[in-house]
Order: sequence, then structure tokens, then C-alpha cells
Amino acid sequence: MAEMWINMGPQHPMTHGLWNMRIKVDGETITDAEPVIGYLHRGWEKMTEDRRYPQIIPMSDRLCYGSSFTWSHVYCMAVEDLMGIEVPEKAKYIRAMSDELQRIGNHLMWLAAIGPDLGNLTIFLYALREREMFLDLFQSLCGARMTYNYCRIGGVRNDAPPNWDRDLVRTLDYFEKRMNEYEELVDRNKVFRMRMEDLAPLSGKDAVNLGITGPTLRGSGVKYDIRQNDPYEIYDELDWHMCTADEGDTYARYRVRMDEMRMSVQIVRDILKKMPKTGPIRVKPPRNAPVGTGMARMEDPRGESLMYVIGDGTDKPYRLSVRSPLFVILSASPVLLRGNKIADLPSILGMIDVCMGETDR
Amino acid sequence: MAESKKTNRQKELGLTGFIFRPMWLTLKQTLKSSRHRPNTVQYPWEKLVLPDVYRGRPGLRFEKCIGCGICMRMCPTRCIDLLEVDDIKHEEGKPPAKVKRPRVNVGRCMMCGYCAEYCPTDAMIVTPEYELASYTREEMIYDPYKLQFAGVPGNEVHILEVLPSELKKDVPPRPHVKNVDLPVVEDKKCIGCSRCAKDCPVEAVKMVEVGVNEKGRPIKRPVFDKEKCVSCETCVEVCPKSALTLQEVQ
Amino acid sequence: MYLDIWQLLTGLVHWLMVNIIGAILGWIGFHGVEHWLGTPGVLNFVTIIVVGLVVFIVGMLVSITLIWQERKELGRLMDRRGTQVGPIGLFQNFADALKVLVKEHIVPEAADSMVYNVAPVIIIGVSLMMMVTIPYSPGFYMSNSQLSVLLTLALFGVVPFAVLLGGWASNNKYTLIGGMRAAAQIIAYEVPLLLSVVGVVILAGSLNFFDIVAWQQSHVWLVLPMIIGAIVFTISMIAELERVPFDLPEAEAELVEGWGTEYGGMRFGLIMMSEYARGFIGSSMITLLFLGGWDMPAFLNFIPDGIWFLAKVFIVFGIIIWIRGALPRVRTDQILNLGWRRLLPLAVVNIAIAIAFKTLGWF
Repeated sequence: MAEMWINMGPQHPMTHGLWNMRIKVDGETITDAEPVIGYLHRGWEKMTEDRRYPQIIPMSDRLCYGSSFTWSHVYCMAVEDLMGIEVPEKAKYIRAMSDELQRIGNHLMWLAAIGPDLGNLTIFLYALREREMFLDLFQSLCGARMTYNYCRIGGVRNDAPPNWDRDLVRTLDYFEKRMNEYEELVDRNKVFRMRMEDLAPLSGKDAVNLGITGPTLRGSGVKYDIRQNDPYEIYDELDWHMCTADEGDTYARYRVRMDEMRMSVQIVRDILKKMPKTGPIRVKPPRNAPVGTGMARMEDPRGESLMYVIGDGTDKPYRLSVRSPLFVILSASPVLLRGNKIADLPSILGMIDVCMGETDR
Repeated sequence: MAESKKTNRQKELGLTGFIFRPMWLTLKQTLKSSRHRPNTVQYPWEKLVLPDVYRGRPGLRFEKCIGCGICMRMCPTRCIDLLEVDDIKHEEGKPPAKVKRPRVNVGRCMMCGYCAEYCPTDAMIVTPEYELASYTREEMIYDPYKLQFAGVPGNEVHILEVLPSELKKDVPPRPHVKNVDLPVVEDKKCIGCSRCAKDCPVEAVKMVEVGVNEKGRPIKRPVFDKEKCVSCETCVEVCPKSALTLQEVQ
Repeated sequence: MYLDIWQLLTGLVHWLMVNIIGAILGWIGFHGVEHWLGTPGVLNFVTIIVVGLVVFIVGMLVSITLIWQERKELGRLMDRRGTQVGPIGLFQNFADALKVLVKEHIVPEAADSMVYNVAPVIIIGVSLMMMVTIPYSPGFYMSNSQLSVLLTLALFGVVPFAVLLGGWASNNKYTLIGGMRAAAQIIAYEVPLLLSVVGVVILAGSLNFFDIVAWQQSHVWLVLPMIIGAIVFTISMIAELERVPFDLPEAEAELVEGWGTEYGGMRFGLIMMSEYARGFIGSSMITLLFLGGWDMPAFLNFIPDGIWFLAKVFIVFGIIIWIRGALPRVRTDQILNLGWRRLLPLAVVNIAIAIAFKTLGWF
């Protein structure tokens, strides 16, 4: 049979989000691939040129709705760099804690998404059941479940309500027990292992050359995590370590994310011990930004996210530029896909954790 | 190193890892959810209880609103505008006074809570109403009467902030209405039209005579009252010569 | 204790034809027809039709109940309620059938319309044909041929052709891939399936379901000596039924619906129905061949044979559903790997064990 190009998407039950994956198929083997994106482009960077600095924060939540707090966090850090504001101590701790809770929520959503990809709906419902607990925590903290609008230029919106850290500790204890269950369902399942092991190996050197960051990079053995290599907020004062895996195949990337979830639980417990009990949580930012530039980057659950702001003296930014980690990884996906079978496509792309909101902006 | 990792992985599976461990787990779950209730909330017969801070559609407390328009200026989707309506309370016999109150297009609202956060009198609140579907778009535009919601004190959103200069000095945070950004007038541009004084919603601007011009008519300049001003920027927008700017408190 | 349906329905048909319809016709005046209706040839013919109808309807109702069982059990396994249409969800199937009946029948423009229309007919026709070969109890059966095991397995094997035809005729790259995958998988798993039945046949000595169950009633349930054969048969049956973990032809995540993507309306309903009908046949084959059919311990004799058989079928299908809840999909080349390299030698080993048991005279 001759080689033919197949369109997977843009309407497809597997590709999370709205994009088109064109693959050149010879029988069952993929010989070439070409991702086509842009179906979700909303003109985000243009919209920000007409809005004041505080008004952009709920918009940045919607950049990637699966990990919304991290995007508003990186935006606030970029604007604070531009305006030269310092954030109070307690706000830094709260921001880092919300970051880690968001990371757990995002990785649970990823875990739920790989279930139906590989044919098992059970893990989908189990992971979402646990994610509900974290969404409830955020709901009692700031009032919304998915797009929090919680970070502010100069701190966070409000302090935690009474009894919130008691609920948090209970949630974390319950969650750690459930993590053991997931590992039983996925890790100790021969069929999952057969689908994921020795698949699409990526060497560390290739990954660095392609510009890949995040758990995908750490799954290939490269020790690079912005929380450790270029610490922001208070990560250099906490007691944790980076999660890497050496093999570079799909199972290694899966393993890195599961380890990251456990590490996030440990970080949150450490933060709860070290957080100051009282103190201001919010600083009044100036209305007009000085002329200049500000840049901030942080470790998004998917990779390295970066924002670059140019201010021009008024209360609206002149230009806001976003570096999305998934944009780079998706453009590197043909390298991962060549030579594998069509049936491997969901497992390879599932481990990358695609979210089109930040890729297309 | 790679070889020991490989056998490490195989050791994790063990003898029962083949398919029995996941089957044991799912059997336990089946028995558990047959005996107790499963984790399903049977909406719409059962609904979850929402905390007070839950951000549903915005709500208005008519009597507290002063018609300043801060909610209109802070909304990221620009779905609020001010509408002149009849006041609710009016004296017997006389026609009701006309006041400006916000009208919200709930269809466009992104439920961010900024209108409630920046409102100086806590007239705009967040409500726990989220079942907002309707058949036409016109029904989704809530005029000030439809926007009303009684609410509980937990529905109000407060900002407690400190100024950047007092960050290291252990000053307790205060509500944002106390950190007032006063407008300053540029003397060369002002023509004394007193439009700012007429439009100020809290009557914080007084026109004061500061001298006499060459034709003998008094020159008036506005003076701003720090206690009453809420930094709503109405005067800044209304001024025909753009003579006013907000000076920020440091 | 069992319900002998042939006796019951022979008597019923005789009473209906001779005493009721014959009397009416005689009162009207058609004595020739009345006499003809009473002849044993006509009575026999009508009895066969009525028995076939009753067995068929019971089989269909049990298949539909299997759909209900799958949805509820899978729901509880995933910590949610299953379907809730009607009391505990029993009306879901009728709602599905009604929905599927009112949909439009679309034939793709460039599809081969004759083959496209014929493929689901073949599938559902063959699947429902198998229902008459399965006995539920010593009295509730339709056909008692000497080769019923072979007949059922042969009818199982006709379906991959129709799947391939349906996938190709839809003029869609996805369905073509799905059809080819399905054909490859089913053909690969026919061989261990048949070989594991050979072990049973050696021990029991005949290809008739009744003889096999009678042997199990007098000796031991065949799952114990033929444990390897039972496991191989179960795994091959799950692959034949195209269920998870072997449902790559229907892989939702990649190919939308596999070979049946272009079928809408009642044709899709018939394809789904045939899946569960084959599921019922497969589970009842596992029960009859390995689990003793309607054999029960002596102290439970008050339960009718047919009910006990159906209970076992539900339990076996419950295990198949449980496997679906716990495992993901296996990739095509791994499925074929498993079939040819692991199950086939095990089935041959099973035959050797059966021969050893028979020659040693233990059974």
C-alpha cells in the first residue's frame, strides 16, 4: 500500500485540544508527521495591548486553563520586575504553595487524560475524583474552581480563610494514600507497561537541542528545573529535590510526573511549616508602569514558561510576549513519532500533556 | 546502570503484577461503591454547597452604590456600564430621583470578581448564582433592578494592602479605600468649568476661588477632599482639557 | 429440575391448532383445512417455529440484560452510578433502540452501496443464528445436533469477513485500517480458541453440548483438569469479542469508532446488538464447556437448571467486564504477538495434558 497522509483532527476524540496532527503512514508505521496548530488562536497578545495591568490577570488565567495559576503567577512576576515592586514574605509562600497545588491538579488532569487514550476509563474517573478535592480547596480560598484570578501584582488577592490549612493537611494525607492506588493501577499493570516502555526514546542531547523543557526533558536524564537552577520566590529555602529519570522513553516521562506529584506534596507540607503566620499579603502597585522591560520565567507544570513585558509609561503595556513550553515541544513531536506505529501515537502524545490554550494563545 | 534499572522495573511488577494487582484494586472499588454511595452528585436533584466566597454572577446592593463607575473601568471584558434609573427609595408625592447604577451583561461576564473587589462601598458583591442560562441574549443583560442580590457579609470582597514604602516596617494592612490616590490639577490647563465638581459621585470636589483674572471674573480651581475621594477617576475622564491626573500615594 | 420446553410447546401448539383454530374453522365450515391443520407434519413444523421463536426471544432478552449489567457494573467499578433511565436503569436499552430507530440512514457517496448495506446484515444474521445452538437446560434448547460445538465455533468465524467488507466498503481510510486490524486479530485468535476446545472434546468424547455437560455432571467440572485450556479459551474469547484489552479495531481514541464509523441509525444499533449477542454466546460457551453448564451441587436442587445456567453466564460476563475496567488496550503487534507466540503453545500443551489424562484412564 502506498504511503498516505492522514489527518488526525482537528475534530478528534484523542487529541486534547483543537489541533491537527498530520501523519504520513505506510501501513501501520508512521514515517513523517506535521502538527498544524492555530485553531484556538484568540489574539491574546494583541488583546493585552488595550487593557490595564490588573485587567490582564484574569486573561492570563485563561492562557492554559489546566494550569491557570502558574500563568498568572509568571505574568505578575514579569510586571513586578518591570515596576520594581517587592512582594511581601507571606505572599511569596502562599504563591509557591498555590503553584504546587496547581501542579498537582494539572498532573492529575494529565493522568486522567492518558486513561481513555490508552483504552482504560477507570483511571480517568479516579484521577478526576481526587482533582475535585484540590479544586474544592481552591474554591474556598479564592472563589473559583478553574480560573482563579488569585495572583495580584504585588502579592495575592486574600489570605486563606480560617481552617483552610487543616483542610489542606487532610487532603494531602488522603491524596498520598490514593497515589499508591494509582501506582497499583498503572505502574503495576503489565499492559500499561507494555504500551509505554521502550517507546520513543529521546536522548538528553537531542532534547536540549530541540528546546524541550519540563518533565519531558527531565525524563531524558537532563537535570534542569528552574525551581532549582534559577530560583524564584522562596524555592531556595525549601527542602526538596528534582525528579529525573534516565531512560528517556515514554515510561520515564510518565514516572517523572508521578514523582513530581509526590514531591509537590512534600513541598506543600514544608511550606506550611515555614510560612509566617501573620503579615501583609498585598502591596499596592503603581497605576502607571515605568518605561522599560520586565521578564520572568518559571517552571510551569509542562515546561518553562516565560513572559516579557514592555512598558511605556502609561497604565497599559506596550507589548506582552509569551513563551509557551508546549509550542516548542509540539514542534519537536515529529522527531518522537517517526518510526512508531499509529497505535503508539496516543501514548507518546499523551505523555507530553498537550494543552492547546497556551500553544495557540 | 541501565541494566539494574531494567531489573528494578521488572522487580516492581513481581509475580502478581501481571494483571492481578489492578484487578484486585478495581474489585475493592466495586465492592466499596456497591455498599456505600458512589461519588456521584445527582445534579439537579442534589447540588453541592458552595462557600460564601464563590464567584458566581455579580450582584448589586442598590442602597450602597454611589454610581462611581469603578466597576465599569475595572471590568476586563467591559461588560458593565452605568445606566440612569429611578432610585428605589423616594419620598411621598415627589417623583423618584434619577441615579446612575451599573448594568451588567452577564453573558459576557467572566466572573472574575474585580467589580466586587474594587467597589469602594461594597455595593457590588459576588453571588453564588451560577445557573444563568436563558433563551435570548437580551435576557442576559441584567439591569440594576435585576442585578440586586441581598447577600451575606461573606459575599463582599475586600482588599487589604500595604504601601510599598511601608513593607518592611510591620505596618498592618489596611483596606484599599484608605489608600486614596488623589487627583492633582494642572493649573495651566484648567479652565474652571467645574464639571469635575458636578460629576463627582461623592461630592469630594469643591471649586474655590483663587484669584481674579484680567477681566475681573473669579478664577476657580478645584480642591479635593481626601476623606471623601474614592479614586474613581470620573473627574479625570470628564475634564474637557485633560487637566487632571491621579497622583499615587507611595 | 428443568422446564421441558418441547413437551410444553408441543402440547400448547396441539391445543391451539386443533382445539381452538380447528374448532373455529370447523364452525365456519372449512373442514379440509381443519383436518390438514391437525396432521403431525403441520403440527411439528409449527412447534419447531414456536420453540425457535421462544428460545430466540429469551436469548435476545438475556443479551440485552448483559448490556445493562455492563453499564452498571462498569459504573460501580469506576465509583459512579451506571445508567439510571427507568428503575435501576433497566429501560436504557429500550431508549437506545428507540433513538437508533429514528435516525437517518446515510450511505457515503463514494461507498460501495451494495457491500455497505450487506455487511451488517451478515454480522447480525450470523450472530443471532448462534443463539439456537446453545442449550440452557436439559429441556430448554432448540437444536440438539451432534456437532453443535463445531457449528457454534464455525459461525463465530464468519464475522471477520463481514467486518473486513464493512470496513472497506465505507470508503474511509480509518475504517479500512480498522477492518484490517479486526480481521488480523480475529483470525489470529481463532486458532488457540479451537485448539483449547479440542482438549475438552478429547476428555468428554463428543462434540455435543449435552454430552459435554453430562460428562461434567458425572465427573468434575472441566475447568479443573483443563485449567490452562480454560484460561486460553477465555483470553481468546475476549479477543474474539473485540473487547478491551483487545479492542484495537474499535479504538476510540485513535480511529473514532473503527470499522463501524460510517454506520448510523439502525445499522449501528444492529452492530452493537451483535457485539453483545456474541458476548452472550461466548460466555455461555465458557460456561458449558468448562464450568459445567447447568451442573449444581445436590443441596441446591430447588433452583431450576436454566436459572443456574444463566447465573453462571452472568458471572462469567461479569469477570469479562471486570477485566475491561482494569486494563488498557494492547497494541496490535503486541496482540498478535500474544496470540501466536504465547497462547498457541499453551493450547497445544493443553491438548497434550488432555491426551495424557485420557490414556491414563483417570477420567
